[in-house]
Amino acid sequence: MSPASRAVQRGVLGAVVLVLAWEGLARGLALPAYVLPAMSDILAGIWRQRALLADAAGTTLAEAVLGYGLGALAGIGLAVAVALVPAARGAVLPAATAVNSVPVVAYSPLILLWCGIGMGSKIVMVALAVSFTLFLSTLAGLDRVDRRAVDLLRSFGAGRLAVLWRLRLPTALPLMLAGLRVSTVRSIIVALVTEMLGAYGGLGWVIYQAVLQIDFVQVWSAIFVASGASLLFFGLVGLAERRLLFWRTP
Amino acid sequence: MTAASLARALPGATAARGGAAGRLVRAALRPGGVLRLVLGVCAVALAWEAAVPLLGIRPHILPRLSAVASAVLATPAAYRDGFLRTLAETLIGFSAGAAFGVLIAVAFFRLRALRELVFPIFVVSQTIPVIAFGALVVLWFGNTLLAKATIAFYLTFFPVAVNALLGFEAVDPRQVALLRSFGASPRQILLRLHLPAALPQIFVALRLAASLSLVGAIVGEWFGDTTGLGVLLLQAMYNENVVGLWAALLACALLGTGFYAAVAALERRLVFWRAEQ
Amino acid sequence: MPVRRHLLAALAGLALGAGLAGAGAPAAAEGAAKASLRLKWLPQAQFAGFYVALQKGYYRAEGIDLTINPGGPNLLTENLVATGSDTFGLSGGTDSVFAARDKGLPVVCIGISHQLTPFVFVARKDGPVRTLQDFKGRNVTAWFTGANHVLNAMLTKEGIRPDEVKLQPQQVSVTPFVDGSVDVATATYYNELYTIQSRMGREALRTFVAEDHGVTFPRDTLIVSEATAREKPDLVKGFLRASVKGWKDAFADPKAAVDAVMAVAPTLDRAQQDFMLAEVKRLMTAGAARDHGLFAIDRAALAKVHDLLLQAKVIAKPVDIDAAYAPAFIDALASADRQL
Repeated sequence: MSPASRAVQRGVLGAVVLVLAWEGLARGLALPAYVLPAMSDILAGIWRQRALLADAAGTTLAEAVLGYGLGALAGIGLAVAVALVPAARGAVLPAATAVNSVPVVAYSPLILLWCGIGMGSKIVMVALAVSFTLFLSTLAGLDRVDRRAVDLLRSFGAGRLAVLWRLRLPTALPLMLAGLRVSTVRSIIVALVTEMLGAYGGLGWVIYQAVLQIDFVQVWSAIFVASGASLLFFGLVGLAERRLLFWRTP
Repeated sequence: MTAASLARALPGATAARGGAAGRLVRAALRPGGVLRLVLGVCAVALAWEAAVPLLGIRPHILPRLSAVASAVLATPAAYRDGFLRTLAETLIGFSAGAAFGVLIAVAFFRLRALRELVFPIFVVSQTIPVIAFGALVVLWFGNTLLAKATIAFYLTFFPVAVNALLGFEAVDPRQVALLRSFGASPRQILLRLHLPAALPQIFVALRLAASLSLVGAIVGEWFGDTTGLGVLLLQAMYNENVVGLWAALLACALLGTGFYAAVAALERRLVFWRAEQ
Repeated sequence: MPVRRHLLAALAGLALGAGLAGAGAPAAAEGAAKASLRLKWLPQAQFAGFYVALQKGYYRAEGIDLTINPGGPNLLTENLVATGSDTFGLSGGTDSVFAARDKGLPVVCIGISHQLTPFVFVARKDGPVRTLQDFKGRNVTAWFTGANHVLNAMLTKEGIRPDEVKLQPQQVSVTPFVDGSVDVATATYYNELYTIQSRMGREALRTFVAEDHGVTFPRDTLIVSEATAREKPDLVKGFLRASVKGWKDAFADPKAAVDAVMAVAPTLDRAQQDFMLAEVKRLMTAGAARDHGLFAIDRAALAKVHDLLLQAKVIAKPVDIDAAYAPAFIDALASADRQL
């Protein structure tokens, strides 16, 4: 048996053990749903509420993907601008690092007061979280370029933009993509947290409402769907990455 | 597969993040750097103060910095106590998360079967939003400082474990064989070879964990508490007290940057051989 | 180098100090029973009486070592009391107690704080909404934590179907109403109404009161678990006795009461807290409390709420009111002692 398929088998086994332990704990100790609902109840709850949950997941994913796209564009754009205009670096880099070291959730009250509780505030929050990660990782990638390669291209008469397009961006791509990948899970979580503080819809809103309506099966159902949405988003970006980086895959 | 690649995604991004910021910390610690940092902060403060009246910004969008400062000075104890309480939660969660992360990485490194069984579950657990999980923590751990530290811990341990594991695996097997031929015990090999070799990677994760543990502490305080920066944020938000909101936000910023800089400075001392590269 | 080392040492010292201060709870008095009260929200004058009773040692005098735990978003007091995380709870209201009983949570209500519906619906006086009939087709916002049921009950009484109104969940801020993008907003007498009045002026507003339409939703309910009610009746009575004493003091000396709250949450706005306490006094001393004293449980009002909730399908089946509400504990205190 190959090590890879053994790893998959063990991974599945681990998940099965967890599910059984959860089910056994909840059923065996007859835990009430407000402490821990049984796994089977949660799965049944997801199936029963599939229309509502799919709708909420759609809202959350739309916020996360839109914010992700905007944030990625802003972050990468800013990094490229700083790479093109080195004079701007001294001002932009410290500001970005300072803003980034403040926990993103601390901004959410302010953004909610500014942008209201519609989808706008979630998109802004996600964009905020994603843009700094991408700004810093893209900049680090752009800086990784070999000095001698730059000099070589220059000696052939290449301008600053040509060096950026032909050399620096391709070099930065792996780090940029790593930043894009890690931001997927983060963008869903940020959208969800912001929804819980105030929203018209989405998985975070469903969780918030379910807590108030004392429906803990629904709380857990929404959490599971959110986790699934994160993994899906992550998987899609990973797939896109493998397509883009095909020349690197051995 | 997804699990493994999700895990691998973390260090790449964190390395990048740490790279730029690490350089910044180093720059700030140079003699002229401190002066430049102070000047920069003063410039931003002046620009903020001047922009509000000049651009006619309504105070409930952005208050003047002087208004924020006087709000802090009116009740300094609230901000000091909140700062210390959140700092304590952050530090406890961070330390526990870092220690557990390294320990679990050692266990995963030694016991491949355990790793293959548990690791995917850890990965999936990281996609669960803390805030949804927080009410349960209160239920299980009560309304204590420890409940908040637990959330900080939950956010912290995973990146540390992933990076430590990657660091351990990058060790050259020939070096292990060499040490073993000199009669070194597995324990000695771990302490003398693997841990130092993984330290740069671990610190990359610790810098990320510094911000994450603060997020955990703040979100934890949203589940019913009296003191803490998270409480101040929440109270200001629901009372539409924008001045108080900015004051709490600035306190969070101070704590976040301070803790991050402290971890980066510690890294510079402990991983000196890497920092010179 | 030394500068940095000292900084780190100082940080570590601070953290340790704060950690110890937090961990080392105040030593319990000899033989005092440990208990906690979970509030429905963050500390504010809405809960002043409890903070006064704690500050003046009234709970300790009853042999209770009480901790007050604030609430927060996404926390449900009924849940924390049902699981035993907290001994006492000041929960949402009669609506949330009924809902909790309906879902099988073993909680019992031992006293009701606000005898009147604590919120109103506000519209601007120069706007298009003059009567409840004008709500049709308008943008209305309400909290989906109880206020929506009150609104639906009011509309139903006027013969308006709830879906004829564009109802949206209300956000954290009243700014959309002040800016005019929302026609009707929900406001508690003691909190949002103050904010709206201070931004628009009292004269610019028209208010719609639930009681004018024959609807009353008593809110801010004191709850315990069934186990506590059964096994520790003396603890429950002692808690109520001390709480009533604290509230009477708070109403007698509002300034000191707001001081007690602001000692816990110093960043609050003093003027707003003074206003809040005055409004809370009005809500707590109206209705059944006028005849029977603070925390009176008005069974007639409960039956009405129950039928409304059943009609609105908030509760799936009839709930046994006598199992959900236990007036015996509060009635054990002499009614005269509960009057101001």
